[in-house]
Amino acid sequence: MNAIEVKNLKKSFGDLVAVQGVDIAVQKGEILSLLGPNGAGKSTTISMLAGLLSPSDGEASIMGHSVTKEPEAAKASLGVVPQDIALYPDLSARENLVFWGKMYGLRGAALKTRVDQVLDIIGLTERQKDRVGKFSGGMKRRVNIGAALLHEPDVVIMDEPTVGIDPQSRRHILDNVKELNRQGMTVLYTTHYMEEAAELSDHIAIMDQGKVIAYGTHDELIKLVGEQTRIDLTLNAESAMIFDAWHSVAGVSRIDATDGTVTVLVDDSNQVLPALFEAAAQANVRITSVDIQEPNLETVFLHLTGRALRD
Amino acid sequence: MKILDIAFKDLIRSFRSAFAVGMMIIAPLGLIGLIYFAFGGASGGTADLPAVNVGVVNADRLPAEAPLDKPLGDEIRSMFFDESVASWITASDYADEASARTAVDKQEIGVAIIIPQDFTGHFLAGETDSQVLILSDPTLTIAPQVAENMVTAMLDGVSGGRIAIQTVIERQQANGLQPDPAQIPVLINRYTTWYANFQRDMFHNPDRAALTLATAVAEGTSENPIQKMLGIMMAGQMVFFSFFTGAFSMMSILREDEEGTLARLFTMPVRRASILAGKFLAVFLSVVVQGIVLIIAAHYAFNINWGEPLAVALALIGQVIAATGLGVLLISFVKESKQGGPVLGGGLTALGMLGGLFTANISMPKAFTMLANFTPQGWVIKSWGIVLGGQPVSDLLLPFAVMTAMGIVMFVLGAIMFRKRYA
Repeated sequence: MNAIEVKNLKKSFGDLVAVQGVDIAVQKGEILSLLGPNGAGKSTTISMLAGLLSPSDGEASIMGHSVTKEPEAAKASLGVVPQDIALYPDLSARENLVFWGKMYGLRGAALKTRVDQVLDIIGLTERQKDRVGKFSGGMKRRVNIGAALLHEPDVVIMDEPTVGIDPQSRRHILDNVKELNRQGMTVLYTTHYMEEAAELSDHIAIMDQGKVIAYGTHDELIKLVGEQTRIDLTLNAESAMIFDAWHSVAGVSRIDATDGTVTVLVDDSNQVLPALFEAAAQANVRITSVDIQEPNLETVFLHLTGRALRD
Repeated sequence: MKILDIAFKDLIRSFRSAFAVGMMIIAPLGLIGLIYFAFGGASGGTADLPAVNVGVVNADRLPAEAPLDKPLGDEIRSMFFDESVASWITASDYADEASARTAVDKQEIGVAIIIPQDFTGHFLAGETDSQVLILSDPTLTIAPQVAENMVTAMLDGVSGGRIAIQTVIERQQANGLQPDPAQIPVLINRYTTWYANFQRDMFHNPDRAALTLATAVAEGTSENPIQKMLGIMMAGQMVFFSFFTGAFSMMSILREDEEGTLARLFTMPVRRASILAGKFLAVFLSVVVQGIVLIIAAHYAFNINWGEPLAVALALIGQVIAATGLGVLLISFVKESKQGGPVLGGGLTALGMLGGLFTANISMPKAFTMLANFTPQGWVIKSWGIVLGGQPVSDLLLPFAVMTAMGIVMFVLGAIMFRKRYA
């Protein structure tokens, strides 16, 4: 039995099809990252898994419990870390955790013990009596995560938990995720930061426009682009003539221009780069900056969609 | 159990909000407190007036052969110098009208009483060309009125005595009896002394006054009319703010929606009906707590006698049900908490005015009074009127039934709309 099983999941809002037939299977103890740009359908997919939205079609289950037919059982196995801070600012960190713990059915000594443990995990034991409204963004994020861990769920869904926080808090959260996974928790992690997906995940599902367009391990996905190198170039002026010239250079597989930056996928940057400079000179265009990136998930996304992940 | 947890959490949040506590408890008590102090701290019904400075010019002389021991001017003067009015009238003598007028102009005194020479002679002769002149500071309103009333009352009394004695003499003569001329001054003097004492006693020692006014007061109610008025005002404020509390507390569901905590609750193994029930319970308890605190505080702070405990309990329960119901219904129309302020402020104030919360002490046109029957506030204030009026508990049954029915209907409608919204 998979910890998370999603089959042909669909969600429409009127004429807008947000999720169109997603299939995902996450094994117990695994971290799966859903990677994709904003609007790709990641949040809608996990909202259906969390019981916030009803699927228009398809099936989804958590630990074998259908999210539509046995929502209470599915939710009892699940901890959800929402993308935005969802805490009571006028309650202390401890009061927040106690309340959320009660909502998961914890009571008495078990609740107290678990709240103490979670405060320790998120590193806020010293600040437990302070009101959450006074916390920094990073500290709020940590409490936000802690609230989903109180009942020691089999599965945790984290919706972009590191958005807008400082590097130190981000590091703390990523380490927490790895530690939770080491303890046996299954994690479904959505992000649009490819570095996070690469660091954390056993498997990665890349989503775009409501579909999973690629699935595999990090290495498997990189192989999709055939070890291609990405070169980002900034020019003093754009011209159609230079793009035509670069397309004819041997070893260039793709050229995209966005916001003054031209991205070129090449087989071997050492061989291709001199030819690109030469063609630019002949077209009287000056290259003002060059950034060479070895194949990564960004390259994969670009290769698959023709757009950058950050777009 | 989770319903209680949600309600308890909402109550904690409400009572930690300075705004909520201000609107629930402090504002209604503060408003009544202002009125209370405006009436001079009405717990004893003794509203203090500012001291009145009165100057008296008494030029009156007793005419020869007058049937009185002393001139009427002396009686008028002595009223203002009497010990019984010393706490609120400071009187002083002036030699003539000019000096008294100067004192008024300089605002050394507020009122000058000018009693002309031969006033007694003219008065006894029934002539009207001699009058007591009252000069007053034009910036004052109460002091001149008080002085004028005192002089008028005294002269009316003396005139009444004169007419009475004249009538007695005429009746005796009509019956062939000849009155003894020596007895007439005695009678007049006796009457004048009696009247002066009567006036003094009526205002300062009512238990000794020959004439007393008895007012029927219902059993169990405050005997002090100012306290009774404060009681109605306090009830009006309590009703207005309890409806506000009902709606404001219910607005927590909108705030939770905006804070993301409602969505988080939906991801947990808690039924949506339980979440809504917890929220409703918090609203109900908030209004109950507010009502109890205000009733107790008003009793001890303003000495308001709320009346029969059972009647108070019935009125309070009806109020809580109506306020909770209206709160749930009103907020079910509001999409976001930012809309809440205008909707609650405008809607509840309008309904409160129609319900007669601000006109409980005033006789209003019949049509306006009829309108109050279509608002929950109208029935709630009506029930408090019954409680404060000391009427029997049975009189409360109809208002209680209407309040409860209105509250339940509004609650159900609101709950249906919320369930649809968060389905």
